[in-house]
Amino acid sequence: MPSDTEPVILAENLSKSYRGRPALTGCDLRVPRGRIVGLVGPNGAGKSTLLQLVCGLIEPSSGRLTVLGARPAGTLSRVGFVAQETPLYSGLTVAEHLRLGARLNPRWDAALARRRVEQAGLPPGQKAGRLSGGQRAQLALTIAAAKRPELLVLDEPAAALDPLARDGFLRHLVGSVREAGATAILSSHLLPDIERACDHLIVLSGARVRLAGDVADLLAGHGSATLEELVLAVLR
Amino acid sequence: MTWLSWRQFRTQALVAGAALLVVAAYLVVLGLRIRDTDAGGLMRYQSKLYLLDALVIIVPGLAGMFWGAPLVARELETGTHRFVWAQSVSRRRWLAVKLLVVTGAAVLATGLLSALLTWAAAPYDTVAGDRFSALLFGTRNLAPAAYAAFAVLLGATLGLLLRRTLPAMALTFVLFTAVQVAVPLAVRPHLGTPVTASQPVTAAVVRELRFLSSDADIEGLRVHGGWVVRTSKLLAPDGRRVDQDRYDSCVLRTPETVGECLEALDLHVSADYFPADRYWRFQGLESLLYLTAAALLALLSRWRIRRA
Repeated sequence: MPSDTEPVILAENLSKSYRGRPALTGCDLRVPRGRIVGLVGPNGAGKSTLLQLVCGLIEPSSGRLTVLGARPAGTLSRVGFVAQETPLYSGLTVAEHLRLGARLNPRWDAALARRRVEQAGLPPGQKAGRLSGGQRAQLALTIAAAKRPELLVLDEPAAALDPLARDGFLRHLVGSVREAGATAILSSHLLPDIERACDHLIVLSGARVRLAGDVADLLAGHGSATLEELVLAVLR
Repeated sequence: MTWLSWRQFRTQALVAGAALLVVAAYLVVLGLRIRDTDAGGLMRYQSKLYLLDALVIIVPGLAGMFWGAPLVARELETGTHRFVWAQSVSRRRWLAVKLLVVTGAAVLATGLLSALLTWAAAPYDTVAGDRFSALLFGTRNLAPAAYAAFAVLLGATLGLLLRRTLPAMALTFVLFTAVQVAVPLAVRPHLGTPVTASQPVTAAVVRELRFLSSDADIEGLRVHGGWVVRTSKLLAPDGRRVDQDRYDSCVLRTPETVGECLEALDLHVSADYFPADRYWRFQGLESLLYLTAAALLALLSRWRIRRA
């Protein structure tokens, strides 16, 4: 277990390129424990690349990345990941997805999974391919959360949800992360979502980190009144 | 992980299992009927057995195309790898279990089919005495099961490298077919050292030949149960090539009398061949060859999955 002062994500000069095209360049990050981190930036800024590096789906081209005090590929059971567009097995039912989660994760919290599926109103016998985008997002988040991760990574988790569902989803997300004493990092291009849910901010643009820190400090330091003003000022 | 692999494979396995059951039942019935037939009447099963041989030939390729190629490619294509790799099971373990479940099923199905066909056709094959022929060697006993293991791993590895299901299926078909054609022609003859012996050319031998060339070459010499890989020209008793005039005077006759005419010349050929008792050695070596190739493909995909 990492100590309270040890950062959950520590990146030093982290870079990733795909066939010579840089997706992330010289990225330095230090994300403290217990934060809900918002990752914002225009499309193609490197948000997905950073998140996939954090959960070990891809490997850095250069630089160092430590997640929960270890190499990302070695922390599978302690990191929960909800990928963009929330891929699930379309031929498997909701109940079968929960069974999959239970079989593939040693720290699986079956009670939490059941409760969340009920709250979200997901029919257990429904195949994932026939769920709405919002329902799929809920199911994917449930599976990631029932893993009992110390770090929850979400790539555009609310993109498929309508505004009302998004509000409930984010509130639920914040609640469960706080309750578990975990850390979460989520990307979004919707600033109001970030503003509502997050207390730490990373702004990416053109494959580089433009801004990173606790939201309160950033607002005070830049003299901006709102997060939106701040982000737009940085990106301009 | 075994549960997930089985759950994903279940429908295909049940469909294949049902088809296998039908063919197996037919093979049992056919085998019993063949056993009720006396040696003289066995020829009438020839076309049926050819069809069954063809089935056993294509089954490993089908397993490679429809079970092997989509195994990883489908996940990469639909993005589900980003879901399943985010669970607490390592990619290598995930891949190993998937490969084991599907390869195991393919080997089991093909092995059962081959075993049943070998049993059903045994009386016929004994009379025919050509179990070294390309068709029979690849459809009896151990070899088909090894082909299936290779085909599935070829498909799975290509799927992992190409990341797309349809191209992986197509390339699996092409490569597997190429290997199945190349091995009997170019590899199998080198799996042992043939014996060389003189074979008398009797009228009966001549009738069995496929071809007599104008310069005294022959094709299609058979040594019962064995495999002839090279024959000399027709030789006179003194060991020299048959006299061309005497040869010509025989082969220009009506076909029915060629055999007797040549027999009267007391000819022989020197033939390189693998005797019948080498059969199991060849089956074992060829199976080992395919299984080794399958194991190498498994290692390649195990290495490649880290960077997928």
